[in-house]
Parts: sequence; C-alpha cells; structure tokens
Amino acid sequence: MSAESVRFSDERLAEIEALVKRYPSPQSALMPVLYMAQEDFGYLSMDAQQMVADVLGLRLMQVREVVTFYTMFREQPCGTYLLEVCTNAGCMLNGANELVSHMCDTLGISVGETTSDGLFTVTEVECAGACGGAPVVQVNNIYHEKATPETMDAFIVKARSEGAGK
Amino acid sequence: MTSLFINEQEVEVTPGTSILEACREHGVDVPYFCYHPELSVAANCRMCLVEVEGWNKPAASCCTPVSEGMKVKTATESLEKDRQMVMEYLLIHHPLDCPVCDQGGDCKLQDYAVEHGTSKGRYAEPKRAVINYDLGPFVNTCMTRCIHCTRCVRFADEVAGTGDIGVLNRSDHMTITGIVEEALESELSGNLPDVCPVGALLDKPSHDVSRPWEMTRHHSTCTQCPNGCDIQIESRGDEVMRIQPVENSPEPWICDRGRYVYDAFRSDHRILSPKVRSGDELVSVDWGDAFARTTELLKDKRVGILFSPDWSVEGQTAIRLMRDTLFPDAKVAYDLHRRDMRVFAFEEGFSMTTAQIADADQVVVLGSDLRQRLPLLMQRLRKRGRAGKPVSRIGAMNYRTNMEISNDAIIRPRDWAAVIARAMEQVRDLGKTAAGFENWLKAVPGRHEAGKVLADALMSDSCALLVGEEIRSHEDAAALINGLDLLMRACGHAEAENDGRNLMPEGMNTQVLAAIFGDVRASAGELFAAASAGELDALILVGSDPVGDGLFPTAAKAALASVPLVQIGAISGQISEYASVQLPAAAYSEIEGAFVNMEGRIRVASNPIKSLGQERPLWKVMMRMIQVMGGEVPVVNLTELRDMTRQRMPALAAAWDASEKDSVLIAPARNKGVELVPAKATDKFELDVVSRYSFYREGMWARASDLLSEAGSIHAMDDVLVHPDTLTALGLSAGEHTVRTFLGESAYYIGVREDVSPGVLFVAKRGVGGDLSDVSAASIIGGAQ
Amino acid sequence: MTIPSDPKQVKQICFDRINIPNVNTLSVAREHGAYEFLPTVLKEFDSARIIDEVKTSGVRGRGGAGFPTGLKWSFVPRNTGKPTYLLCNADEGEPGTFKDRDIMRFDPHLLIEGMIMAGFALGVHDAYIYIRGEFLHEANVMNDAIAEAYAANLLGDNILGSGYSMNLTVHRGAGAYVCGEETALIESLEGKPGRPRFKPPFPAVEGFYGCPTVVNNVETLATVPAILKFGGDWHASIGIPNNTGCKIFSVSGHVNKPGNYEVPMGTSLKTLIEEYCGGLQHGSVPKVVIPGGSSTPWLLAEHYDTPLTYDDMVKAGSMLGSGAIIVMDETADVVALSRRLAHFYAHESCGQCTPCREGTGWLERIMVRVENGQGTEDDIQVLKEAATHMAGRTICALADGAAAPILSMLEHFPEEVRARLVEKAA
Ligand SMILES: Cc1cc2nc3c(=O)[nH]c(=O)nc-3n(C[C@H](O)[C@H](O)[C@H](O)COP(=O)(O)O)c2cc1C
Ligand code: SF4
Ligand code: FES
Repeated sequence: MSAESVRFSDERLAEIEALVKRYPSPQSALMPVLYMAQEDFGYLSMDAQQMVADVLGLRLMQVREVVTFYTMFREQPCGTYLLEVCTNAGCMLNGANELVSHMCDTLGISVGETTSDGLFTVTEVECAGACGGAPVVQVNNIYHEKATPETMDAFIVKARSEGAGK
Repeated sequence: MTSLFINEQEVEVTPGTSILEACREHGVDVPYFCYHPELSVAANCRMCLVEVEGWNKPAASCCTPVSEGMKVKTATESLEKDRQMVMEYLLIHHPLDCPVCDQGGDCKLQDYAVEHGTSKGRYAEPKRAVINYDLGPFVNTCMTRCIHCTRCVRFADEVAGTGDIGVLNRSDHMTITGIVEEALESELSGNLPDVCPVGALLDKPSHDVSRPWEMTRHHSTCTQCPNGCDIQIESRGDEVMRIQPVENSPEPWICDRGRYVYDAFRSDHRILSPKVRSGDELVSVDWGDAFARTTELLKDKRVGILFSPDWSVEGQTAIRLMRDTLFPDAKVAYDLHRRDMRVFAFEEGFSMTTAQIADADQVVVLGSDLRQRLPLLMQRLRKRGRAGKPVSRIGAMNYRTNMEISNDAIIRPRDWAAVIARAMEQVRDLGKTAAGFENWLKAVPGRHEAGKVLADALMSDSCALLVGEEIRSHEDAAALINGLDLLMRACGHAEAENDGRNLMPEGMNTQVLAAIFGDVRASAGELFAAASAGELDALILVGSDPVGDGLFPTAAKAALASVPLVQIGAISGQISEYASVQLPAAAYSEIEGAFVNMEGRIRVASNPIKSLGQERPLWKVMMRMIQVMGGEVPVVNLTELRDMTRQRMPALAAAWDASEKDSVLIAPARNKGVELVPAKATDKFELDVVSRYSFYREGMWARASDLLSEAGSIHAMDDVLVHPDTLTALGLSAGEHTVRTFLGESAYYIGVREDVSPGVLFVAKRGVGGDLSDVSAASIIGGAQ
Repeated sequence: MTIPSDPKQVKQICFDRINIPNVNTLSVAREHGAYEFLPTVLKEFDSARIIDEVKTSGVRGRGGAGFPTGLKWSFVPRNTGKPTYLLCNADEGEPGTFKDRDIMRFDPHLLIEGMIMAGFALGVHDAYIYIRGEFLHEANVMNDAIAEAYAANLLGDNILGSGYSMNLTVHRGAGAYVCGEETALIESLEGKPGRPRFKPPFPAVEGFYGCPTVVNNVETLATVPAILKFGGDWHASIGIPNNTGCKIFSVSGHVNKPGNYEVPMGTSLKTLIEEYCGGLQHGSVPKVVIPGGSSTPWLLAEHYDTPLTYDDMVKAGSMLGSGAIIVMDETADVVALSRRLAHFYAHESCGQCTPCREGTGWLERIMVRVENGQGTEDDIQVLKEAATHMAGRTICALADGAAAPILSMLEHFPEEVRARLVEKAA
C-alpha cells in the first residue's frame, strides 16, 4: 500500500470533523478514527497511522502508542473472516479449547494464522463478555454464541462459498 | 506547613508534598527508580513503597501526598521483602552484564540489588530481548536493560517537548522506543542517559571509554551560551571525558552543545603552542620568539582589539589592562552581532531570573530563535506552557520551539517599528501612555497588525519581554528598543521589582563588559572598516572568529587581508589563515575564574585540569605581553587581578562577595532619557535578510567539535530560504538564483519554506551565504544559469 | 408502596422490560414507562434532592468496587469553572461478566434515561458511554437509541424544555480489559493507551481532561430511574441493609442454565444456582465458585449457602465484585483454570507497574510448566511469593486480580497442584 492510496475520502473527513466536535480535544477521536482507517484500508499500516496522526494533528508516536496497546487494532492484514474464539474461563469450561483445535484442524492452520486463500484467520481472544453463551466465537465482531464444532463447520462451508465470490 | 512522623521523627513540610519528597528533604533514604524531581510523577516502579499507620497496604511514597499527623515507616521487614521482590521482578529480564555496561558503578539497579536484592534470582524462564533504536548522535540504546520507569518518555514529552519517545505495547511486551529511523530532534538529548537510572540509554560519545569510578570531577561553568550553566567536568588524568549538569543547581539540565563541546578541547583545532607565520604555515616557536614577533607587529602601532565575551571576568579585565597599558587609544569590540552602537534604553542582559520569567503572566519572544539560542530558557518556557501559561512570539520565522505558542505572528524586520507603533496605539487607547509615545508614533508611518500580539500581552500584570537577535542586530536597534522601553514603562513593566525588559545578550558577561569597556567600545564593523581603510596597523583577536561568526564576515575578511593579525585564544579556527602570530590561551576547562550569566548571576569555575600544551590562562598571557612590550605589569597574581576588577565594578564586587552567590544579581544597564525614534526606511532592496543562529555551528568551540558538527549536519536546512510566495511573486521557483545586495551580486540556491515570513530572505547556513551575512537587505533578481 | 417480602416477587429493576420485544426502540420503551418520570425529575428535582435519594437508596456501584453511588456523586466539587463529565463504564471485561451487555442491547433507553438523570444531578453537559470494542452490536443499538432520543429532544439542547442540555456519545474501546478500571478508561477516552492513573487525585476531582468526572457502571446508572421514580426508601427496602436493591448476576460455567439473573441482594448463592440456573451440570455441590468475576478469590462448596451481598462475600473470604459468578463442578481442573486466568492477566496488564508487568508474565510461565507436569516444589513457593507481592502494591487492582486465582488455588487445592509436579508425575 503506498502513501498515496492511504487517504480518507471526503465523506470520511467530514465524518471525522463532526466526531472531533463531540470531544473536548481531538485526541479523543483517535480510537474511532483508527477504526475508520482499519475499516477503509484493512489494517493500520505505518502510512495509515501517519495519515491518522496528520488528520488529528497528533504526533506519530501518540498514534503508535495507541495502536500497539489495543488488541483490536491490527498492524497486519488478516483474513476476510476473522474468527476470534474466546478461551477464557467461561468458554474454556464449556469446550472452547476443543473448539479452537477443531477449527484449526478443519482449516489446516494454527492459531494466529490465515488460510492460504486469505479467507480465514483464527485467533484466541480474552473474555468476550458473553459467558452465558459460552463458547463464543466472534466472526468479524459478530457474536456466535454457544458455538459447536458443527455450527462452525457449517459457517466455514457457507463462508467459503460466499467468500470465493468476493 | 504539614507535620508528620517519618520513622517516629516529627518533620514539617509544605502541604501537598509527597511522602518521598518529605523523606528526601529530611535525609531519609527511600529507594526509587521512576521518580525524578524534575519530571512528572509516574509511580510505576513501585520501589518507593512505605508503610503508613492505619493503612491496610503499603503506599507508593512518590505519589502519596503527606497529611497532618501521618505516621510513616520507611524501613520494616515487610517493606524490605517488598523491595526485594520488586528487585526480583525487575531482574527477571535484565541482562547480567554489569561488567560490560557503561552504567556500572553509577547504576541504581546495581546499587539497589546490593542493598535490597537477594543473592539469587529464581526466574527460570527465557529472558526477553528488546530491539534498540536510534536516538541520534549522542545517545546509545541498549533496551534489553530497560526497566520501564518511563523517565525518558517523560523527559522527551515534558522537557525536550519532542514527544518522540513512547511506550509501545503492553504487559511484559511493553517497550520504550523512538520513532524508527529518526534521530531525536532535541538539543537536550544528551540528558537522556542521565535521566535513565540504568544502562538502557547511554552516552554515545563516552561509550566504552571510561568507567565512573575512574573520573575526577570539577565544578565549572559552561560558556557556550549566556545561560552559563553550572557544569561538572569529569576528567581522567588531564583528559576531559564528559561534561555533566550539576545536581541542585538552578538548572538541572544542560544542552548538547555545552555537554559535547569537550571533544574540541583536545582536537586539532586547539592552539597548544605559540606559533608564528612562516610562509603559508604557522610554526611552533617558544613563547619568547612569539612575543618578539608580536612586539614587532604591535609596538607603538594603531591596533584594533576584538575579543570574545566568553572569557572569564578576570580575563576581560586583563584585556582591558593590556589595552590601557599598551594601546591607550585603541578601540575594542566584543560583539559581532550589533550594527547599531547607539545607547540602548535597556542594555544586554536580563533583568529577570529565568524563574521569574517562567512565573510571569505573559512572556513575549521578540525576534529570536530561542530554542537554538538559549535551549534551557526555551525548556523553561515549555514547562510553563504545559502549566497553561501563554507564550507569545513575533519574528521573521516560525522558529520551531517544540511547544505550542499561544499567539504567533511572522513579520519582516523592517516592520518592527510599525509593530511597536501598533502596540503603542492599542495601549494608549486603553489609557496607558509614556512621555515619548507621541514623538515615536509620529516618526513611524505604518502600523502592523502583529503589534496586537505584543499589546495584548502587555496588558497583563506581569509581562516578560525577551528581545532577541532580530531586534538587537537591527540597523535601527536603539530606536526600536527605545520604543519597547516606552511601551514597558507605559504598561507598568519597567519598575525595579517588576522589570520585564530582557535583552538577550550574544555571550556571557555582557552586564560587566559594558561597565569595563563602555568608554572604549566600538562596533566590530567599524573596526574592520577602519582596518580596511588603512586607519589601523594591526588587529588583535582574542578568542573571536569574525569570519565564522557574526554579521561581518565579508568586512572581516577584507580587514584581515589588509593588516596583520595577532591571534590569541584556545581555538585556531578559520581565521588562523590570516594570523601572523598565535598565542595559546587556556580553555574554560583549564582555568579558575568567574563568569556572569545573562541573569546577572556569578558563576565560578575552578578547574585544576592541567593544560594540554603550553597554553596559559588569558590573564597571564596579557600580563606577559605587557611585560615583553615594555609596559608596567599592573597585577602579578589572580588575587590582585580580582581586586582590580572589583574596584572597577562595585556591582560585581557585591555579587562576588555575597555568601549566597545567587542572592545578588548584576543588573544590566538602563539608560534613561534615550529619545530615539525610528529612522525613515530606505527600501532599496525588497527582502530583509535574517541570519539563522545554529546551535550546532555557532562559535569557535562548536565548530571545532566533531560531535556537534555531526549533529548539525543531521539538523541542517537549505542554505537560503524564502517563503514560497516570495518566489512566486517573481515568477520563480526553488533553485539557483542571483541575489543583489549592496555588496554586489551572487548566486545562491534558494529553497522555500512556509514558516519564513514573506519578504524575508533567511540565511540558514552562514558561510555558504557568506556575503549575505553582512547585509540586512537584498533582492532576488532572477534565475541564474 | 410496600414491597413484598418474598424476593422473587420483587419487580426487577434493570431487567424490568428486558423481555419485551423491540423495547430497544423509543416508542415501545415509552409504552412501557421509559422517560415517564424524566420530566418530573427535570422540573421538580434539583441536584441535592437527586443525590439525596440516591444516597438514601443505598445503591452501591455495580462495576466491582461496590462504592456507594450517592456518596461518590457528592464528592464532585461544584462551581470549579470547569465542566463536569459523566462516563458510563460499559467496558465489561471482567471474565465472567456479561450483564451490562444485556441492558444495552435490550433496553438501551433505560441506560440513557439513567444517564440523563445522573447528568442532571451532577450538572453534566457532555456524557460518554465507553463500551468495549467487541460490543459492536451493542454500540450500534445504543447509537440508534441515542439518535432516537436526540430526535425526541430527550438529549441535546434544552431537554424537554427544561433548560437542561446534555450530549451523549458512545465511544468504543479496542480490546483492553484494563480500560474498565476507571482511570484507565479516562486515559483511553482521551485517546491514549489505557494506563491507570494513581490516586489521588480522584476522578471526581480531576478526571477526564483534568475536570471533575464521575465514572459509573452501566447497571449502576440503569438503577437510577427506578430509584427516582419509586424513591430511595423503596430501593433501600429491597435486600438487606448496606446491601440494598437488586443485583444482576451473570452466571456461567458448569450450570445448566447460564445467563443473567436479577435478584434481590441477599438471595443465597445456592438459591441462585439451583432455582434460577437449573443446578450444576455434574454433581450436587460446586467444587469452586468464583463469585464476583475472575479477579475475586474462590469460594468452595462450604460457602454454597452464602447470601449474595457485599458484606457476606467479604465474610466468606471473597468479594461480590461485578456479580459474575463462575461455577465449576467436580469435573473442573483448577490448575488449568488458574493457568488460563494467569494468561489473561499477563495479556491484559497495562505494563506500567513493575510487579504487575513482570509478575503476571512470570506467574503464567510457571503455571504453564506446572500444568504440563514440569513444575517443582520450589515453584509453589515462588508462585506464592510472586503473587503475594503483586497484590496491593500497584497502581490499580489488576495485579490483585491476577494474584487472586493463584493464591486461591494454592490455598484450597495444594494437593492437586502437588500431584502435577515433576517428582509426583514421575
Ligand atoms: C482491572 C479493573 C477492571 C475493571 N473493569 C470494570 C468494568 O469492566 N466495568 C466496570 O463497570 N467497572 C470496572 N472496574 C471498576 C471501575 O474501576 C470502577 O470502580 C467502576 O466503573 C465504578 O462504577 P460503579 O461505582 O458504578 O461501580 C474495573 C476495575 C479494575 C481494577
Ligand atoms: S496494576 Fe497492572 S494493570 Fe494496573 S496500572 Fe499497574 S501495571 Fe497497569
Ligand atoms: S518512585 Fe514511586 S513508584 Fe517509582
């Protein structure tokens, strides 16, 4: 990705302008604007981070600190479907570890990896705040509760056929 | 006052003091890493735990304020165990490389490990290794040794104002790092290794060359800028190994220039023996032969004397004695940056201390690249900015300050009169006026909006003006300064106890120099003109380099080409090519002497570091010169010289004799009844020329230092700069163009930069723009081939 | 109004409308009483009266620390010349907790109404909901509800003609448990890494951008409309003294019907698990119950009858925390559980305090060895010391949370741990 291609659209910039007004200082808008950049450009490359810094009048270091502190900001691209399995207490007690192994086996990857077709990335995450529905898998931030090997297999099959078209 | 008990001892401290500070004030030892008296509190190392009676858990003393009647214990078995554990946590990932670490012997981690640690760590897992990063020419990093105290991060944020050191990641992946591939953009970067309590940030120049315990330390004064910081010179044998700030002095930091200039002390540029010219070369001779040649050149001749303000006060008196005895008619000059020699309503020097400036409601910087000139004063302004206090500025360029300037205006130097006039009108309309206002206003046709910045600031209860080089070296400086003086009087900022008039001096000692030399002082330009016109037979330069520094390089070259030069000093420099004789004088690291800084403080140096060669303290060279040239030697030792100096300057004597050295300050001269008004401008050239003062290149010492030269090349700009509009208006773009001045025409590469004021030709690199440094106006007349 | 003494008959406070379809929309919510009492509050109540009612109600912070809410509000200095901010803590990251999510996704207007009332009491004009980044759906629901509220003049300028104005903004976190700690939350909302600040100064005095700031949990704020509508005395009459009102318990782990249950304070742990959650998956008594989220010390079968109150939980050696009850039956592997939680804290430590940054990682690495049968007797001593000297010695309580599972495991199941050590395995 070149520095030129990492530019917010005019609509985005207008959105950011309105957003900044909601806070006492533009720095508060950093996290929401990083989300926008991640959505628009897939991940937060150094160019994207520099651009965000420029848009908000911050120093690159201020942006770097935030990007690296929070787990939901990604400095690397990931698969079309990001499968985040909670393996914390509630989910672990309800079979999350086995579910992760199953999904990795099905996809032929290890935790943290992306399938070679670029469709799926599997990661383990911390408590998703939905332990009542354990185990929980977030797929691009949409919660799949009470997930089982079967429901995930079904999802993967469906996603493959849809994702292939993308 | 709040009283509390520390280990059963009742003590009193100011309310709001932290327990740790209360302990420090009362000599109770509490171990800590992250606390630093000059930085904000982070409370992250957790080493400073103490017990407070009635609290159910230990408290971090650095971030816990005292309260009335509080009972604090700093040494209990349980605290000892806590400290032992903190040490164990810290040493989990710390390499065991003390024997090869520069910090060894001066390391908090090492000290506390002995004091509070256990003999054996129990961590059996793999250790972490951390990537190093580049912090510029002065700082080495070894980040695996980092203990995450964040002192360096706070330093970069709060003191240097660059904010380019940060904390990435979290948990035990947390790392301290700089922006990749970028040198720390700070003229205070050399403080980082001092700030780091362990061996993660290390002094690059002294890397691997010495160990703390081999050093001898001498208290001295830095003469690299008029701030005159206290310094500690560390030497091994006769070699200066490091220069450090002095604990508990008014200024806890020193700048990179003052710190790293020491590599010039033993450079090839030093004059270490008397020399005389033989053909193209200067050859070493003994003192006798050198003085014989000197006598031949100077005896009964008409001479001009030019010297540096940075010699000790004793040295300055000795120069005066030499002049009076040998050349009673000679004019002397010591300022290479002043064009207007008329009396200033307020002369060089500060009437406020740095602390008072920092406390003032308003600070206005007029025409100065303060960060390059006085980095430590800039640092104080940054600190006040962080506390929400405004700093305003008017100048020819949007000089980078690493801080937010509250009110900012860029102007051409020829507009200063209109700026001041605009401010006068505004304050007059608010009912404040001074006797000379109307005359002054009448003399100035225009009004410039930037005056509002000044007037607004003047309306506060206390306002500090920092008048900089753009005004001081202005051709009409005396009139402008008079205008500012009237404004300050009108607004009540000129009374003795609330005097906000600060004229930034070019070098050290200016308050005393005016007193010692006031009656025989000339402009450097006049001296050169006189030499070139055949009115002088020789020039004596004492530690001054008018070719490399100042506003008259072309005039100086012409003068030096027409008369012989006797060069006296510590550094040879580029003028040595003109020298007929060179007489070595000791560096400031090698003398005992007193200096007066811009605030009027007496700073004393006493350096038993032996000479490297045959150089002698300046005063001895002067006395010897008097003697060999047949004069009567006025003083034979330092005590006599000091007495003589005292007699000439009672204010200096008072400050010198004060038991609390910093309690008596020497005030700069104030001249009442100066009734100058600005002269009519003659607009022969469209552009005003402003020369940059470069922190890393200005002064003979700095140029003789390889370390500073290297740093200077990292921070360099294009040689000559203008605002893009200036070129656009001429139908030109950045490139090689012919420039016309009263000296003639030459071609320069002209770059563009938004932050230069339109109408200004900014000379970023002296020497390259050699001719341009001599002029104050120029025109771009078109593209060159 | 008299309150039935049988807790089961008490109307729920936060979950009163939770099962009503589409109650997330303004019209349905209004049909069921949302914003009904708001005009009265804005017109007839003043700040002092609201704070008094909340004090009388006895409601304690539902975010974990259980600090009395009315008291917290009364600490906010007035007329400082600075704005006061209200921040709703919807970071809900404590393992085991998932209650705030339900309030937000099902009944967002309850939270909005509570925030308007709290904001009004505190003189707040800008309020924020800091919601954990993973709750994207919940953030969207909240945003839709807020948009409707703005359109109905329930937010924004001159709310319902009262002269009071307040803006409300949803701000998403991005995956950092520690941002649930109130000062870390403030740092995060300022656009920085969420590293907790030391106290004093307390947020009530110097919080968001140095201004007076109140941080309250979602559930705490959602309780406010009922307290004002029915009176502080009404709320105080539910539960037991010093532990009044209802509390949502998020129950997970080895129970048949995990989920959120709002019950009056004082209901026993056993009642909650057996009557509401359909009992355990295996066996009749739990092996371990973590009563207040993963950071709280473990309870054992012998504590099964403990009433669910702040005070009784302390007496039993733990804490009510956020009310996240993780239940483990006899099949549970306590070493694996401890190891997993150690990983969590090591991953989530913000990194600033030495004991937490280095200690959490150290604990995890040792636990991995112990779990894999490579631990030694010495490790037990190290685990104990390393955990003990983290707790209570750091800026925030995350380190205490990290120590709790390790210390509980060592205290209650030393034999299970020893059974895994190298010598024993051989
Ligand atoms: C590590 C840590 C995490 C926390 N996480 C949360 C959280 O996710 N939600 C919450 O409401 N409070 C959390 N808290 C408690 C808050 O610091 C704070 O006490 C609470 O938001 C105050 O609101 P309340 O008085 O309404 O309970 C956490 C505290 C700590 C130390
Ligand atoms: S205890 Fe841990 S999470 Fe809390 S402030 Fe300290 S390092 Fe950060
Ligand atoms: S000095 Fe107090 S925590 Fe570091």
